[in-house]
Amino acid sequence: MEFRKTTLDNGLTVIGEVNPAAQSAAIGFFVRTGARDETAEINGVSHFLEHMLFKGSDRLSALEVNEAFDRTGAKFNAFTSEENTVYYAAVLPRFLPEVTELWTELLRPALRQSDFDLEKNVILEEIAMYKDTPHFDVMDKCRALHFGLHPCGASVLGTNESITGLTAEAMRMYFNMRYSPDNIVAACCGNLDFDAICRLIEKRCGGWTATEARRALSYYGGTGQKEREERANLVREHICLMSAGVSMQDERRFAMSLLAAIVGDDTGSRYFWELVDPAIAETAVMQAESMDGVGAMYSFIRCGPRDAQRVYEIVGRIFEDVAANGVTEAELEAARNKVLSALTIKSEQPMGRLVSLGFNWVYGREYRSVADDVAAVRKVTVDDVNALIGEFDLRKFTRYAIGPAGEAAGD
Amino acid sequence: MRSKLDKHVLKNGMVLLGEPMPGVGSVAFNFLLPCGAATLGPGQCGAAAVIQDWVFRGAGERNSRQLVDALDGLGLHRSTAVSTHHLAMGAAMEASNLAAALELYADVILRPRLEVEQFELSRQLAIHDVIGLDDEPRQKVMIRLYEQFYPDPFGRPGIGKLEDLEKLTPLETADIVKTGFNPAETIFALAGKYDFDAVCRQMEQLFDVPAGARRAEITPGKPGQLYTHVPHAGAQVHIGLMTAAPAITSESYYDINVAVSVLSGGMSSRLFTEVREKRGLCYAVGARYSTLKDMAGISCYAGTTPEKAQETIDVIRGEFGRLWEGITPDELERAKVGLESSLIMQSESSSARASGIASDYFLLGRVRSLEEIKERLEATSVDSVTRCLRENRFDEYTTVTIGPREVVLT
Repeated sequence: MEFRKTTLDNGLTVIGEVNPAAQSAAIGFFVRTGARDETAEINGVSHFLEHMLFKGSDRLSALEVNEAFDRTGAKFNAFTSEENTVYYAAVLPRFLPEVTELWTELLRPALRQSDFDLEKNVILEEIAMYKDTPHFDVMDKCRALHFGLHPCGASVLGTNESITGLTAEAMRMYFNMRYSPDNIVAACCGNLDFDAICRLIEKRCGGWTATEARRALSYYGGTGQKEREERANLVREHICLMSAGVSMQDERRFAMSLLAAIVGDDTGSRYFWELVDPAIAETAVMQAESMDGVGAMYSFIRCGPRDAQRVYEIVGRIFEDVAANGVTEAELEAARNKVLSALTIKSEQPMGRLVSLGFNWVYGREYRSVADDVAAVRKVTVDDVNALIGEFDLRKFTRYAIGPAGEAAGD
Repeated sequence: MRSKLDKHVLKNGMVLLGEPMPGVGSVAFNFLLPCGAATLGPGQCGAAAVIQDWVFRGAGERNSRQLVDALDGLGLHRSTAVSTHHLAMGAAMEASNLAAALELYADVILRPRLEVEQFELSRQLAIHDVIGLDDEPRQKVMIRLYEQFYPDPFGRPGIGKLEDLEKLTPLETADIVKTGFNPAETIFALAGKYDFDAVCRQMEQLFDVPAGARRAEITPGKPGQLYTHVPHAGAQVHIGLMTAAPAITSESYYDINVAVSVLSGGMSSRLFTEVREKRGLCYAVGARYSTLKDMAGISCYAGTTPEKAQETIDVIRGEFGRLWEGITPDELERAKVGLESSLIMQSESSSARASGIASDYFLLGRVRSLEEIKERLEATSVDSVTRCLRENRFDEYTTVTIGPREVVLT
């Protein structure tokens, strides 16, 4: 396993983790832009733009793009979050140059009006689909409530209104501002020739002009508000809790993810024994999410609407107990084992490795090998976790719940 | 990617299979226990879903908490699933924990405590999962679709049925565990980093129990009705449709897989192009092939807002319907390279490989090597695929919709 890195004159960075023993290779272009970089008028533009890249460049139509990818057998796609837009492909090694060239072509998209108008329908369908997926919807709504006026509260998909009102011209302006080469990292891993990939990217992207895309960072611990939305077509209560967490730039994020596993892993955690094992809730999980300059702890719980009050009492007790007594060595050890084996298993496939590799560079300008992450997880002590609990109080949470009408729930 | 298969059969008939993967530090195993949804008696739909939770609530010397702590302590990534024929229990882990994990699974499979008070909790969770499906129309539509498509009991849902779960007793469920976990019909597969001799020695010792009686062959009944609409005041109409196709045991298996890839393999596939790219009707649309031993089908899901539902299903049916006219050499090439890539990438995941080996053995009585699959895919041609499609015209569809509006089927 060898780490390589180069930066073009215009600021585009290429990093690679080369593993000649792998049977596949993966590449991703990480654009540091997402919902938090939008204004309310253009909310959803980052995600819509991600779709539009697949519609082709001046030289390629949408159908030609899809055929070109499929000819390589690539497992390719893209995703947009609050703060990143990532385009990726996993392929057999012989096809890596071809898909890399294709992405570099698409990263300078045509953004044709006719494609824009057609794809708007698809985006509106995607919004409708997630409306029918309450566990997704409740997380989205809770994030907005938790972050309030902080940019991380912006919805990734946007709303029917913001998408309907969006113009291709506004998207072009956003693109010009955000898809600057100094705001893009190309990461690759697996069985590949790094120098050849760099030469290709240099040739294809070296002429792009940097516009110095920026993002102002600020920390925010959340509004702590609590809301419930009634929806006549639902039968279960879908609950999301959010509280403050550490950012991606904070070394304590490893301790934070262990804390989340201790409280809310899907087996053996506090949530598991107090909520799922006694069949009070069918799902109860907690995750730590570290972002750019900010972070949060998320819980998702699903239960019967009549059990919601009991769930809130139990969760309250768990948080009180964690605050008063901290976590135990045995809990930490179990969480460590689970986190470490997940890391090992995920990293065995280039595609699993790609995302960590890219994000470590995007957020911290650092290369971290799997061994570095393993060491960081092993190093965390009970005192580290307990210190975090003191500083990031789980009891100060924002809560959003969606459930059926007439079945009151809440404190 | 020259692959090697390890095989050993225990005295009681339990089959052990393994495929070593060079360069990995993990190992995954999968037990296929012969008590899937179709094997259960009348009024017992969902019993396997209860069992998959109940058996982990204490086994051997360990109570529920001690057992979960022991499993978690090994960092196991566990998965359980109820399919038509099996209750599958698997785990992935760092290779050094394999022996300890197998010991725990032997307890779970052979010596579950099956305490009555714990049964009630497992049953409640299973009931909540079934009720909760009403909030997940995308999943629900496909569960209903399989149920109606396959002749009963082959389409019975692993998740269960409310009316059966409500009447299920601990006694009859414990009985299913006793007779259903029959080593003579159990398949155990592993992939990744392991020492097969050591695994065999350990399994020989752990599973040294007599074989049970073999289950009688299941006689298929009738499939369900051709169209069902479930009213739901959601944002979209969720459409599921399914049509019969050659099974894995058929000579046309590779041809039909190529055909499904042409229909829905990548973004240049016909469904994606016609439904999403050209018409903007859906965000999610896709078809997949699924097979039992001698029955198989191609299922398709699409979700769309009510006013587009009719056009969506018409376009989808149109694409299924014109597939028999043939495929182009370009389409064939893209399908082949797509299927080959999936195959190789799957071979890099120990969990995926362990499941693949076990299911091959059950369906075919042998495990296909990756080379064999690759060669057979390579051997398909425009002619062979077209011939297969002509011999298996899609002339009947089972359809389920969930949402605010019905569709009209012509």
